[in-house]
Amino acid sequence: MSRLPFSRLLALAGRQLLRDARAGELHTLFAALLIAVAASTAIGYFSARLNDGMLLRASEFLGADLQIKGSSAASRAQLEAGTALGLESAQVVEFASVIASDTGIQLASVKAADTAYPLRGQLRSAATAYGPEQPGDGPQAGEAWVEVRLLNALNLEVGDNLEVGRKRLRISRVLTYEPDRAGDFYSLAPHLLMHLQDLAATEVVQPGSRVTYRLLWRGEAAALARYREAVTPGLQAQQKLEDARAGNAQIGNALGRAERYLNLASLAAILLAGVAVALSASRFAARRFDASALLRCLGLSRRQALALFSLQLALLGLAASLAGALLGWLAQQVLFYLLQGLLPADIPSGGLWPALAGMATGLVALAGFALPPLAALGRVPPLRVLRRDLLPVPASAWLVYGAAVLALGLIMWRLSLDLALTLALLGGGLLTALLLGGLLLLGLRSLRRTLANAGLSWRLGLGQLLRQPLAAAGQALAFGLIILAMALIALLRGELLDTWQNQLPADAPNHFALNILPAEQAAFATHLATLTAHPQPLYPVVPGRLLLVNGEPLRQTVSKESRGERALNRDLSLTWAADIPADNKLLAGHWWQAKSTDSLPGVSVEAELAASLQLKLGDRLSFNVGGLNRDAQVTSLRKVDWNSFQPNFYMIFEPGTLQDLPTTYLTSFYLPAQQDRQLRALARAFPTVTLLQVDALVAQLRSILAQVTLAIEFVLLFVLAAGLAVLFAGLQSTLDERIRQGALLRALGAERRLLVRARRAEFGLLGAASGLLAALGCELISALLYQRVFDLAWHPHPWLLLLPVLGALLVGGAGVLGTRRALNTSPLTVLREG
Amino acid sequence: MNATLINTPILSARHLNKVVQSAEGELRILDDLSLDLCRADSLAIVGSSGSGKSTLLGLLAGLDLPSSGSVHLAGQDLSQLDEDQRARLRAEQVGFVFQSFQLLDSLNALENVMLPLELEGHADARQRARALLERVGLGQRLNHYPRQLSGGEQQRVAIARAFVAEPAVLFADEPTGNLDSHTGERICDLLFALNRERGATLVLVTHDARLAQRCKRQIRLEAGQLVDTVPAP
Repeated sequence: MSRLPFSRLLALAGRQLLRDARAGELHTLFAALLIAVAASTAIGYFSARLNDGMLLRASEFLGADLQIKGSSAASRAQLEAGTALGLESAQVVEFASVIASDTGIQLASVKAADTAYPLRGQLRSAATAYGPEQPGDGPQAGEAWVEVRLLNALNLEVGDNLEVGRKRLRISRVLTYEPDRAGDFYSLAPHLLMHLQDLAATEVVQPGSRVTYRLLWRGEAAALARYREAVTPGLQAQQKLEDARAGNAQIGNALGRAERYLNLASLAAILLAGVAVALSASRFAARRFDASALLRCLGLSRRQALALFSLQLALLGLAASLAGALLGWLAQQVLFYLLQGLLPADIPSGGLWPALAGMATGLVALAGFALPPLAALGRVPPLRVLRRDLLPVPASAWLVYGAAVLALGLIMWRLSLDLALTLALLGGGLLTALLLGGLLLLGLRSLRRTLANAGLSWRLGLGQLLRQPLAAAGQALAFGLIILAMALIALLRGELLDTWQNQLPADAPNHFALNILPAEQAAFATHLATLTAHPQPLYPVVPGRLLLVNGEPLRQTVSKESRGERALNRDLSLTWAADIPADNKLLAGHWWQAKSTDSLPGVSVEAELAASLQLKLGDRLSFNVGGLNRDAQVTSLRKVDWNSFQPNFYMIFEPGTLQDLPTTYLTSFYLPAQQDRQLRALARAFPTVTLLQVDALVAQLRSILAQVTLAIEFVLLFVLAAGLAVLFAGLQSTLDERIRQGALLRALGAERRLLVRARRAEFGLLGAASGLLAALGCELISALLYQRVFDLAWHPHPWLLLLPVLGALLVGGAGVLGTRRALNTSPLTVLREG
Repeated sequence: MNATLINTPILSARHLNKVVQSAEGELRILDDLSLDLCRADSLAIVGSSGSGKSTLLGLLAGLDLPSSGSVHLAGQDLSQLDEDQRARLRAEQVGFVFQSFQLLDSLNALENVMLPLELEGHADARQRARALLERVGLGQRLNHYPRQLSGGEQQRVAIARAFVAEPAVLFADEPTGNLDSHTGERICDLLFALNRERGATLVLVTHDARLAQRCKRQIRLEAGQLVDTVPAP
């Protein structure tokens, strides 16, 4: 045979592929690749679209090029500095407030903005709820734009009136899009946009109120840079100068974290699919040894024979990758649908890159896991046609593992996974697998003794499992872990908030009232006494920021994303009290003692915050409170019961320290359900007070948690599908032997029913073992989470006992389905083939 | 074909030895064996199990190399060719029929017979394969898979595949070994008929004496040595 042109080899490979597919030889391999590509593509699209959406809004992120943001208004000097440089400005004030109407009350995030807002991007609104949105300028004085959520909560329509504090506004349009909402992907409270001119009339913003002031700027880069230089030295402690990058960095961090967790799930699916690919490819190769020898007899060279089979596999990989990319694209649409409302509505499409990258991942996995077994086909001696005992020399272990590790490394690089984290997880997972696998093996072996007197079908089933104990243990582990992950998510979704709420005392406060003005303090306390038998005291609150400890800035020593770091980045609610609050416990130091007038006033610090900030008794803390510096000395450390729903504070000052500063009051109270009218009356009587309904907040949190966990479960479905692919691939590799065994048993007189029962026993046992592992693991992990992380009392979960049943049904059903050929093949055909 | 070509052996073996290493030490499978075979001849290699018949067949077909000695096939010294070159020679000159048929399970009868022609890129592979299957009496079973055919039918497909590329030499290893005697006889008839029609040289390994007698020549192997030749050289 002359040199076989590549085109002819390719055509032949295509024909052979179709023929093999027609014979049902390639289903598992195709499915495994499909799953790997679909998982990778779905998650790739999800991440890419979110990132693209963020980038698209980069310049709109602030609604400006630059902003000064803080809990106090920008100074005249800061305003004049920008105007002098030719910059355009806009002003925005943001706060939480109760919105009242004739039909009810609802907490909302209110934004009061002047006519110039936004300086970048555009507002979009609709004339009616769910109507077509249009870009345009914001509301006029006397008007409000509200989100559909707020309309629904208050049962209002466009044209109706509502009240923000003491100011009545007419709802003129439905707010659908704010450019600077990119940094606020979800909000527990719906949004309301009003004109800055109306703010004073609301009387909600008072000295001491929790408010965010934003001074926005737009202009040339050079002028902005000069402005930044000019104002930075004079920034107050509560003020920050931000450009789009800073905000993007925050979102970037959050997205990066979400992406990493998603990519880990993707890696798990790809790894499992890779194992299925390796198993299927091994079987594919082994069943083609004779064909390879024959083709060598017919004149193909070694390289041509190998090329023929490689091309077959490559074409299969391409077909599976295309189908997988399409499936992945569809899946990410479902993912966005599941998370609707939590994510921005208009997200870019993502383009083709995630699909191409997903396909490349599939092909790399194919190359890494399938090439080593396939390479054996090139080493089949042609003499095998005469001597079937001749087998190709096995591939070097270095080749096999090296190819797999290389493929894995490439995939991890593409998923941008942290090597240390992934290795730690893989290493930890491997150790756990070894330990649990060993226990499983022991369990299976002892089960054999127990079943020695059981029926034949049970003994046959268990015997089959024990024939390849490592494979059985591996599969039980894989399924066990997958079912464990899904059960844990379901448990947390369903139970966590319920358990937390149920452990609260029956009459624990379920409402908070904030921003009570000093002038209203007495009247509010009196009104509250008519609503509840045991009113809580009203606590004074002054917002302040911790700046220095013993004269030194803190930032360097505090670990990232710790309680301490969060405390440094925002205003704390500072208070004073003569006596230690009832549910606080003194851990170190002393409550207030008489001391000399020139010593610093004392401050009591919450113990966990103190640990996070590395504070100790005697440290001098420096605060900025309303532009004024106040120092205090740590005199005690307290333990706080945050679940008591009493007002609790990180910092409690000695009386007399802060009384001269602008103060508001806060309290909490219990109001039984169905007391809406009394609550509305309270809101109407004190329109500037912010009322938080804990139940409503928890309900929203529950809804968000339900959505997010549903999305996670959807992603885990890919991992489950990959696990099933491994099961099928493993079954196929033993199929020929099972067929022979089944034929022999039937030739010896066994009924088909017996064989079916034996299969059910075998796979049912495997699935039940997986479910049992999952149930035990779930209980263990939930106990750790409840006690160490959530600080809740743990209780067992009897419903987890359903997991072994679920496992038995799932794996049992899949196993019987995957081996049905062994039951349907005529014994005569098999025995004749010898 | 001129006289020179007719008289030049198509297959020639000189002082063939095949020694393999085993747990018990060296094992001599073939011992100093020589033979010649002319075009259109038919040779039966007979002997008891383990006498070295299949080993000899493998060496003559270029599927294996001797420990010493030489084999010339169609004028080419096989020991001077590497495996790929031997494969090319097989594609051009050789056909095979095996005891276990060696059909590809995923191909139907027509596709199995087309395979050698597809490898060579013949555009008329389908027509030629169909014609040959009809010749062997399987014109109604073109789309059937090996598992749907009886042993005899599978062997007929294998014979059609062996002849479709019009080889110069056909090697058959126990072609009736897996068949009952009646079917085996019919297969032999077909094999020899096609051989006559196509003018190929036939080398047959068999322990069936009646089959061996249908060949023009027979050699008998015992413990790797050629002990008998019929007719005598």
